[in-house]
Amino acid sequence: MEPAELAVSKASKLKATEAEAYVQRTKTIMVEFAEQIESFKTIESIGLGLRVGLGKRTAMYSTSILNGKEVGEAATKAVKMAKVAPEDPDWKHFNRKYGKTPVEGYYDSKLENMEYKEIVDRLLSSTALIPEYDKRVKPTRGILMLGSSRTTIVNSYNESAERKETGITVWIRAKAVDSGMESTGNEHQEARFWKEIDFENLAVSAADKAVKFLKAKPMLGGKATVIFRNQIFANLLGIFLGPSVSADWVQKGRSPLAGKLGTKIASENITVIDDGTMRGGWGTCPFDDEGCPTQRTPIIEKGVLRNYLYDIYTSLKADAKSTGNAGRAGYWLKPQPSPSNLVLKTGDAEPEEMIRETKCGIYVDTTIGEWLSNPVSGNLNATITHGYRVENGELTKTLKGIVVSGNFYELLQKGIESLGKDLKNSAENYSPTVKLVGVTMAGE
Amino acid sequence: MKEGEETVGLEKILDKAVKRGASYADVRFQSYDSELVSVENKVLEGYSSRKLSGFGIRVFLNGAVGFASSSDLSPTNVEKTLDNAVKAAKAVKNGESSLVDVKISKANVKSNVKIDPFDVSSEEKVSIALDTNKAAWINDKIKSASTRLGITRDYRWFGSSEGSRTTVQTTMVGLMHTSVAQTGGVMEWVPHSESMCAGFEFIKSKDWNSFSHSVSELALEAVSSKSPPPGTYPVVVDPEIVGVLLHEAFGHASEGDLVSSGESVLNNRTGSRLASEDVTIVDEGVVERGYYCPFDDEGVRKEKTVIVEKGVLKGFIYDRESASKLGGKATGNGRAQDFENLPIVRQTNYVMQPSTCQFEELIEDIDSGVYVRGRGSTGGEVEVGMGTFTFGVGPSKIIRKGELAETVRGVVISGSILDTLKTVDAVGKDLVVKTGVFGGCGKSGQRASVGFGGPHIRVRKMTVGGR
Repeated sequence: MEPAELAVSKASKLKATEAEAYVQRTKTIMVEFAEQIESFKTIESIGLGLRVGLGKRTAMYSTSILNGKEVGEAATKAVKMAKVAPEDPDWKHFNRKYGKTPVEGYYDSKLENMEYKEIVDRLLSSTALIPEYDKRVKPTRGILMLGSSRTTIVNSYNESAERKETGITVWIRAKAVDSGMESTGNEHQEARFWKEIDFENLAVSAADKAVKFLKAKPMLGGKATVIFRNQIFANLLGIFLGPSVSADWVQKGRSPLAGKLGTKIASENITVIDDGTMRGGWGTCPFDDEGCPTQRTPIIEKGVLRNYLYDIYTSLKADAKSTGNAGRAGYWLKPQPSPSNLVLKTGDAEPEEMIRETKCGIYVDTTIGEWLSNPVSGNLNATITHGYRVENGELTKTLKGIVVSGNFYELLQKGIESLGKDLKNSAENYSPTVKLVGVTMAGE
Repeated sequence: MKEGEETVGLEKILDKAVKRGASYADVRFQSYDSELVSVENKVLEGYSSRKLSGFGIRVFLNGAVGFASSSDLSPTNVEKTLDNAVKAAKAVKNGESSLVDVKISKANVKSNVKIDPFDVSSEEKVSIALDTNKAAWINDKIKSASTRLGITRDYRWFGSSEGSRTTVQTTMVGLMHTSVAQTGGVMEWVPHSESMCAGFEFIKSKDWNSFSHSVSELALEAVSSKSPPPGTYPVVVDPEIVGVLLHEAFGHASEGDLVSSGESVLNNRTGSRLASEDVTIVDEGVVERGYYCPFDDEGVRKEKTVIVEKGVLKGFIYDRESASKLGGKATGNGRAQDFENLPIVRQTNYVMQPSTCQFEELIEDIDSGVYVRGRGSTGGEVEVGMGTFTFGVGPSKIIRKGELAETVRGVVISGSILDTLKTVDAVGKDLVVKTGVFGGCGKSGQRASVGFGGPHIRVRKMTVGGR
């Protein structure tokens, strides 16, 4: 018997009312590089996450050892833990009906079977472009990860589902040094298919940024018009909307969007969709981590809040239908409502045009610490490491070390002036370039 | 499984690796157990337990580093994993990696535990977390409360082809509580945690109900306060923030791999003055209340490394590879998240040493400033190349005419690493060191448990953001 089935059957024999086993096998290739390859790793992982229910008492046990003995032990421990857990009055049951949505573009067989030589050759030929671009720059750090996984979910309602996925992430940092001045340039990309990664472009763009920011300086603070590069705004979208549209947060009284369905929470130019079916999306899958089919869920339509995101537990609690958003950050963690692909709908402006139409403002290319923002209060905080001053429609001086503040939810309502047509992702968050007005800056 | 039983096959693979041409090989076996009790809004939301076990093989072959890991310890799979590591090393062209020589270590060590937390009944753990959570609902403005009780045990076996054999077992327990308060349309959350490398006796020794009560009080205080006007201020920083600030803004820049790659702003600055005479910074493997880290994941003993002495940069922290590159000495800082990762340079307990000032002396001549506090902080990040750091700190206090005034919330501090150190002009006489069972520090996709701390300090000029 496969470990997942074995775990469920053992738990049932131990008088668990219900059981659900989630088994994930992953193969990862991770290459660290700078001017040369620093290390080459292959990692094979396997793990079982077993959840059991005893009436309204539940518990979870996970293990990375999947022989018959340990799986049996996992069932014993999970049941034992559930026995001492107090009842959860809101507990109903696990997912009784699995399903699949026909989606495409989440598995690349080439990526799963990559020749090591091709990976190394491609990396080295791309990073060689960095000093070629400008002799003051060199690659100082980079990480390439190729992952493939097989996920099996089985439960005691005789449901089972399996999927194979692939993903590739690459991150490159270049550093420039010139007469006592230093600066860096970073680039990253996440995709499902090997062919989607534009290594050469990432390397050259990192080199270009590093050189341009040699003379970057802080500036005075104040209110400003700010243009966020697409990937940066995508990060903000994930940080604020990810948790606040989760039914879990709504039900726990933590979400500032609780009780606001059907009301206007953003300006009319804002439409956000959670789309688990988007072809080739970073979070695209036929079914979620509880076996529910994925779907396209409107979150904000023309500024009006339409839906929250549900997994099985939160949907049963709210008497709603799961939106297919159960996500596990690891096999050892229980599912939580999580965005699949969170997409801010594009506008019709070219990013260059958005800059051209700005008399005075700031263009934000890279930030750090944006995750320090507070999705509960809406406090937006990010520190610009790479920014430009925009003067009379042109990018002029380079800037660094400025803190961007504001209230994200207020900015959604009043601050968004225009949206670009250039959709790009930072992991599962997708956004175009966005122009905001009235953003607070703390500088020197 | 009996201790030692699982490593018999791994001993043999070291010899095989050498026979296959490896100039050096090491194997790390790990067995990690954890339990987490989560309570949300007075209801047990999750009770989970995790076992993670497996091994990783690292080989050096003609200057190339290959690594492979697996959780299957069967003899055939151990062989296959060695194959994968060798194959990975062969894929690397023009490898230039080498390791600095170290003393051979033979040791078996454990952190102090009086009551094994894995022996404590599940009922007791669940009831402590539930009671703590219930005690946080101090009035109807508290809208949400979450409590987590965590215990971990990390057993690591290390063997190298040079002959080192070490085992380190670290047990840690801790509790984290978050309260969310709301008044009018404003919501604010305050997370706070206490952890220690110890057994369950640490949990038993504290009054957690008053702990969560005080977190709720702080959330209430914060929600009815304002953000400070953005700008540049003199600030006094409390030990908790000094600890994380030091770790993020300075500690990472002193990591040998970031120095050797040229990424760090501290590159080529050894011997130069970075801060006032009052500032001394050390990284040490075993510190009271810190993370227990007597050996690293390369079998090297972690002793006391002085980074800054009386304001002058003395040295860096290294793993064996970066020490070799920079001509330094391995300092016991080669640490891996788990058996699936290679060791990289990580801090252990990175602490600023106390000096002489009383707290009152630090604030008395500040006309208008901010007392930056750690409780409720959300963490920070640094860009070592640009030298920029940023931190979300907890509810803080305005300093006005030498005295503490009103509370402010949503405070973010930011600055340049080197400029900020230069403007540290007074260091307190107190010292707080902390570690955490929840989270840890991230670098290159790996997390590591660390300890950090220091005294109160005064910084003449720091950028403070707010809304």
